[in-house]
Amino acid sequence: MQGIIKQVGSFFQHSLVSRVLQAVLVSFFLLTIVFFLLRLIPGDPAMVLLGENASMGQVEEYRKLLGLDRPPMEQYVDYMSNAFQGDLGVSILRRQSVVKIIASRLPVSLWLAGSTVAMVFVLALPLGLLAAVYHRTWFGYFFRVTTSIAISTPIYFTSLVILLLLAVKLDLVPIAGYDPEFPKNLRTLFAPALTNSILLAPVLARILQASVIDTMEEEFVEAAIVRGVKPLRFMWHYLLRPSLAPCIAALGYFAATVVSYGVLIEIIFNLPGVGMSLIEFVRAFDYTAVQGFVALTGLLVVATTLLADLLNAWLDPRANLK
Amino acid sequence: MINHDPGSSPPLLSVNKLRVSFRVGSGINLPVIDTADFILEPQGSLGLVGESGSGKTMLCRTLIGTLARHGAVINGGNITFSGQPITNLGESEWRKLRGHQIGYIPQSSMAGLNPILTIKSQLSEVVKHSTGGSESEVRREVLGLLERVRIPRPTAVMRSRPHQLSGGMRQRVIIAAAIAQGPKLLIADEPTTALDVTVQSEILALINELREELGMALLLVSHDLAVIEEMCSLMAVMYAGATVEVGPTENLISSPNHPYTRALNTSRTDKARPGDLLESIPGDAVSVGHWPNGCRFWPRCPIADLDCQDGLQPDLLAIEQRASACIHSDRMEVTD
Ligand SMILES: Nc1ncnc2c1ncn2[C@@H]1O[C@H](COP(=O)(O)OP(=O)(O)OP(=O)(O)O)[C@@H](O)[C@H]1O
Ligand SMILES: [Mg+2]
Repeated sequence: MQGIIKQVGSFFQHSLVSRVLQAVLVSFFLLTIVFFLLRLIPGDPAMVLLGENASMGQVEEYRKLLGLDRPPMEQYVDYMSNAFQGDLGVSILRRQSVVKIIASRLPVSLWLAGSTVAMVFVLALPLGLLAAVYHRTWFGYFFRVTTSIAISTPIYFTSLVILLLLAVKLDLVPIAGYDPEFPKNLRTLFAPALTNSILLAPVLARILQASVIDTMEEEFVEAAIVRGVKPLRFMWHYLLRPSLAPCIAALGYFAATVVSYGVLIEIIFNLPGVGMSLIEFVRAFDYTAVQGFVALTGLLVVATTLLADLLNAWLDPRANLK
Repeated sequence: MINHDPGSSPPLLSVNKLRVSFRVGSGINLPVIDTADFILEPQGSLGLVGESGSGKTMLCRTLIGTLARHGAVINGGNITFSGQPITNLGESEWRKLRGHQIGYIPQSSMAGLNPILTIKSQLSEVVKHSTGGSESEVRREVLGLLERVRIPRPTAVMRSRPHQLSGGMRQRVIIAAAIAQGPKLLIADEPTTALDVTVQSEILALINELREELGMALLLVSHDLAVIEEMCSLMAVMYAGATVEVGPTENLISSPNHPYTRALNTSRTDKARPGDLLESIPGDAVSVGHWPNGCRFWPRCPIADLDCQDGLQPDLLAIEQRASACIHSDRMEVTD
């Protein structure tokens, strides 16, 4: 046990530095791209805020007030130097610090993402494992068909079915809204997380199934069967653990998907998270707020990748050698 | 078939007219073994030779009851172990046989151990106190196992993972796991391929020592006639899923009764002297699903005639201690 802690520890130190550098770089590039892309879109915040009846002079004045009349390069350098000191500016729409807005909205989104990932793994691990062990039987066929259907169903339809079933018919969960208190919030998050899981768990289960089928062909599995390894130990150490690497790698892909589906799900289920306000800010051309949210997304994705690396190091000690 | 003296105790393992097929669709079978026939006495040793793809590994899997997970079934013949039929055993009955009665060394020493578990963790699965024993008891027994297979610095090896060990060391660990529960039969599927020559002879010597110590019978699969000659008193030659010749190793090597056995002999590299022309067997090995009618060896056989090309693969025909599936075995001397 101590050995494992030490291994993970040294791995963490080694990779933490490079991961932090990576996070900084990713955020830098993301911010740069978003900064200029936003300004290429026709329209601007001054026009939106002042409404259709404002005169050209008023709009010009307002732009000056927001500092949008300066050359874009100058604005960019200003924004970036502030951003790297942790100041993401002030929301144009709300006249409130972007960092503060994010801080108030982020917990809901993190809860949603966390419960989604947990639910995805809880659904996908046993499903993928069973589908691999019984892939030659009717269950393998059933698995292929149902996962295909689940993956190809649009998210708004899935969420509708789930709402009808869980909220309207069975009255198990609220139709929409959010309760910020800890154990109670899980009840409000159940339907949204399930919706997201139904789209993602089949993907993960299939990755796992393919991987476990490969593992089952390995001679060490055959030898373990002949030795008579106990069923639970066999499942975990001989089938699952050696097959998890591709699933953990997929976590990086999931991070991005969980976040982007999260936006839709927050709107559908009326959850006051980051995603819901993002739409509002984009509509209003709130440059600073959108930039801040995008930088946050970049950081989140890099953080998940780091988490995936750590998980991998724990599950597969060979990964430490590289 | 091969004679077995009815007066004595039953043979340890007897494989009679065994047929095994892959199930490739509903009702469609692809034969991979058709037919295998041999007998192994308690504490005896039998070498199984044959080209790649002839079904040696599938035969081993039949004998450890893992056909189902490879999508295959027994669809003919029978097998007995210590006099008990084991042809249609259920999973729970197999569990009592595997490990305790039949030990297994898988084909690849590289992939034979779980890459993510330490040696100690894997060996503790088979020691007496694996359940209910204290940590120190388990540790002592694992150490004892490693010493039995002559592993130097066992305490260090115990803590390592397979990729940190050499091929020879890994193979010793695999052997330790296979013999830990004192099986009556050890099945070793090419235990020394992929190892270099000195390590190879060390491993073979170890297997011999353990056999003597435990009174274990050995079923040894190998491509290498020299290995079989050294290790096994009996030999079975497999070609395209059929045992085509069975008998005492020295007789089969000095006077083969099947053209395929003779061809294996003449293509041996270890007996060749510098300057000799090595004869290789003409043509390619036939693969599963592409077996010819008649004797499956006829397209590559120097003494085949029209009689060989029709009907089914001929059965083994016993003459004294040995048996051959060649209908023209009487011509073998003449063409030499
Ligand atoms: N799942 C499968 N479906 C169909 N054919 C298979 C399957 N698995 C193996 N085979 C074929 O069965 C044949 C016998 O394989 P087997 O592994 O028993 O050969 P072998 O004699 O052990 O060869 P080698 O010396 O290379 O180990 C091979 O031709 C192989 O291609
Ligand atoms: Mg083989």
